[in-house]
Amino acid sequence: MLFTTDKQTQEDLNIYGKQGTDSILSLFNRTATLNGSKLLEELFRYPLLDAEVINARSEKIKYLKTVKAVFPFSSELFDQAEQYLANTDERTKLPIEKPSLEKMLTSLVVSNADYKQIVNGISALMEIIRQLNNLLNNTLILAGSPLKRDEETTKIRTLLNTEPISLLLQENPKSKQPHEKLATYDLMLRFRYRETVQQVLRYIYQLDVYITVAKVATERNYIFPKALPKAEHVIKLAGFYHPQLKNAVANTIHITPESNLVFLTGANMAGKSTFMKSLGIAMYLAHMGFPVAAREMEFSVLDGIYTTINLSDNLSIGASHFYAEVLRIKKIAKELSTGKNIFVIFDELFRGTNVKDAYEATIAITAAFAKKRNSVFVISTHIIEAGEVLKEHPNINFKYLPTRMKGTTPEYTYTLESGITDDRHGMIIINNEGILELLKKKRKEVTAQ
Amino acid sequence: MSFITDKQTLEDMNLLGKYKQHSIFSLFNKVRTAGGEQLLNKMFQNPLTDPEAINKRSEIFKYFQSKQAIFPFSNKQFSQTENYLSGSSANNYPVTLLTLAKKKLLATVIKDEEYPNLQSGLQQTIAVLNNCKTFITQFKENDHPFYDELLEVSNILHDPRLEWLAEEQTTGSPQQSLQKTARYDHLLRHTLRAVLQTVMEAFYQLDVYIAVSNLAETKGFNYAQALPKENNHLTATELRHPNIDKAVANPVSFNQESNMIFLTGANMAGKSTFMKSFGINVYLAHMGFPVAAKDMQFSIKDGIYSSINVPDNLDMGLSHFYAEVLRVKKVAEEVSEEKDLVIIFDELFKGTNVKDAYDATLAVTAAFSEYRNCLFIVSTHIIEAGDVLKQQNNIQTLYLPTIMNGNIPTYTYKLQPGISSDRHGMMIIENEGILEMLEAE
Repeated sequence: MLFTTDKQTQEDLNIYGKQGTDSILSLFNRTATLNGSKLLEELFRYPLLDAEVINARSEKIKYLKTVKAVFPFSSELFDQAEQYLANTDERTKLPIEKPSLEKMLTSLVVSNADYKQIVNGISALMEIIRQLNNLLNNTLILAGSPLKRDEETTKIRTLLNTEPISLLLQENPKSKQPHEKLATYDLMLRFRYRETVQQVLRYIYQLDVYITVAKVATERNYIFPKALPKAEHVIKLAGFYHPQLKNAVANTIHITPESNLVFLTGANMAGKSTFMKSLGIAMYLAHMGFPVAAREMEFSVLDGIYTTINLSDNLSIGASHFYAEVLRIKKIAKELSTGKNIFVIFDELFRGTNVKDAYEATIAITAAFAKKRNSVFVISTHIIEAGEVLKEHPNINFKYLPTRMKGTTPEYTYTLESGITDDRHGMIIINNEGILELLKKKRKEVTAQ
Repeated sequence: MSFITDKQTLEDMNLLGKYKQHSIFSLFNKVRTAGGEQLLNKMFQNPLTDPEAINKRSEIFKYFQSKQAIFPFSNKQFSQTENYLSGSSANNYPVTLLTLAKKKLLATVIKDEEYPNLQSGLQQTIAVLNNCKTFITQFKENDHPFYDELLEVSNILHDPRLEWLAEEQTTGSPQQSLQKTARYDHLLRHTLRAVLQTVMEAFYQLDVYIAVSNLAETKGFNYAQALPKENNHLTATELRHPNIDKAVANPVSFNQESNMIFLTGANMAGKSTFMKSFGINVYLAHMGFPVAAKDMQFSIKDGIYSSINVPDNLDMGLSHFYAEVLRVKKVAEEVSEEKDLVIIFDELFKGTNVKDAYDATLAVTAAFSEYRNCLFIVSTHIIEAGDVLKQQNNIQTLYLPTIMNGNIPTYTYKLQPGISSDRHGMMIIENEGILEMLEAE
């Protein structure tokens, strides 16, 4: 089973972003190797479902952060090695017997590109293996390292101690190898033990990702969330903020089955969407075992995450935005009805219809969602009247983002408070714009005449 | 003073735009010539504000509709003539002759294209001008509204200096001598340049009149009668959307004592379509164009504003609500300057809470309705506001009904007096079975 999410969610949270724009992925995408970058994208595509796996990964990254691990390989080595391995043409195999004098003379005059690539590839692999061995011994498997008892690392260590890899370790990659030896290595590395070699490389790419993420965590001062078993159904998130905003304001929230639905109100510019995005991003990264922008985080693993923040609407048809929202809710309801526990974010629920329909629908849907105690919902709306009715559900957690009026200019604290906001800006804005005075003043003048 | 409107209004009603699908402009854009299209576009950009000018234009349309004429040229023929005439000839005949001689020489020596092109342009122009002369003879009754213009054209074409035209058409070989070519070229493109321009422009007008009146004939459109401003009166029977086939027609009637329609109805019941149909027909009527309505009579207005699909400008940090407020403010400013306007507000104040939406709808609608010189259509779901507003006797309450056919709503699109509380939001949710899905354990 996979962690469920969808394109809408990833777009809302700006996980991948549009080409060339900053995204959550680009925050971390600073790996030394190209394949490391590909692997990172894969991790983003498949968040995890198992608390133990999540914790195992985050502990590894955390350890790499503590020891300030540095990726020691130069990326050129991997280019050479990968190019070499990509050549699976049997005909290019180095022949065991010594080349004839004629051939040696020819190769003196016309340099053989294939031959060069093979020799370079073998020596790159030698260098990689040597450096990996050093990295393991000097950093990764020191006492107290989670990698010491890590299954994958143990497997790689065994590989390093068995042929053919163990043979490479004994060579000096700088010195020129005799022809027979090269031919034997070529046969083993490129054909017979190809899988093994690739497994080692993959392990290094993963290290690349983890070391990079650890570095980002250090620079940005992120913390590592602790994943709890599914059954506990809690989220404790303290001092979390939006990772892409400068001077973002941090907020704290605590979610349990007794308060599994956050009903969020607040004026339009008060920061509702940003709050919800920060929360969604933190939950997403936490399920990947990645560090998050927060002070402290503990969470029970969920089966998926669905957000609806910027639902694209088709304004030319009045009903369609509302209908798009209904279909989105239906999709979520379907997931919930299969017994999944999911994290749901809905920004400005039913903004695509008239206030009356929005009022009724908000109450009906919110109340129905609230009954799914093992899932978590964050719903924002401007229909504050719906909140009054929903107060009868004890597990709805009413929060708002306040607006402070300074004269007629609104100011925002971006700090979550409990309750429903009574900021009703509608009439204030209309009065500020002086529309009614505009209409009445002239009329008086007319009647006075 | 020109007719007042703005981009939002034009977009709401999809009035302009050659390449926009289903725009009203493209509905009428059946003209043949580029000049005709430009003229049509100009008419769309500038509705009229003088009842006499409006009625005169619609009389001309009516006349051509009765004649069922067909514009005699293809776009290609006409544009060749346009091209030819827009090029200029030298100031005097000898120079023209010399230039052409040089061109002819070049054509024979190095196959230069200029001279043959010029000759074929000239040929085409002779044919077109001859055709023009014949074509207008069918409009020779002297009491029709386009008579004066056509008389001028006829006089130009019967100028003795152009007598050779007919002759060249029938007897002339396609390749005139150099001398003849030079003489004609000098005459058409220098001596008579200005007057021939008048002929061309008259034909652009003819193109528009014929295209529009033919459309009116096929679509069953009628002509509205413009009344002076002071009457403050607008009636029509069978008003419908011009761009929807089989559109349902409704009557409307406004006057000083009844200047606002308060419209209710479910989401799909046709409120927006009715409001758009009204706006479009008012706009077309002010252009003197045929309207999709019967017996339409209207007092001239200064302009029209609508607020149907106000987009939120989230990039600028404007919420949907604030965008609407700014729109209402703009209209309020215009109305308070004592302009006579037609105002259309669809489903105001969406992006706010119920209480504010109610307060705002009530306050704004009541304040606007006191401007008896303006006409309003306001639609809303806040029927409670309607209950208060219907106390004012200048407000007509109308609704578009929904008839439930089991679970499936059907719509008549026929206006009824009263207020409807039909809403479908919950029904759509129920039809999708979402609540059951969530209830099931």
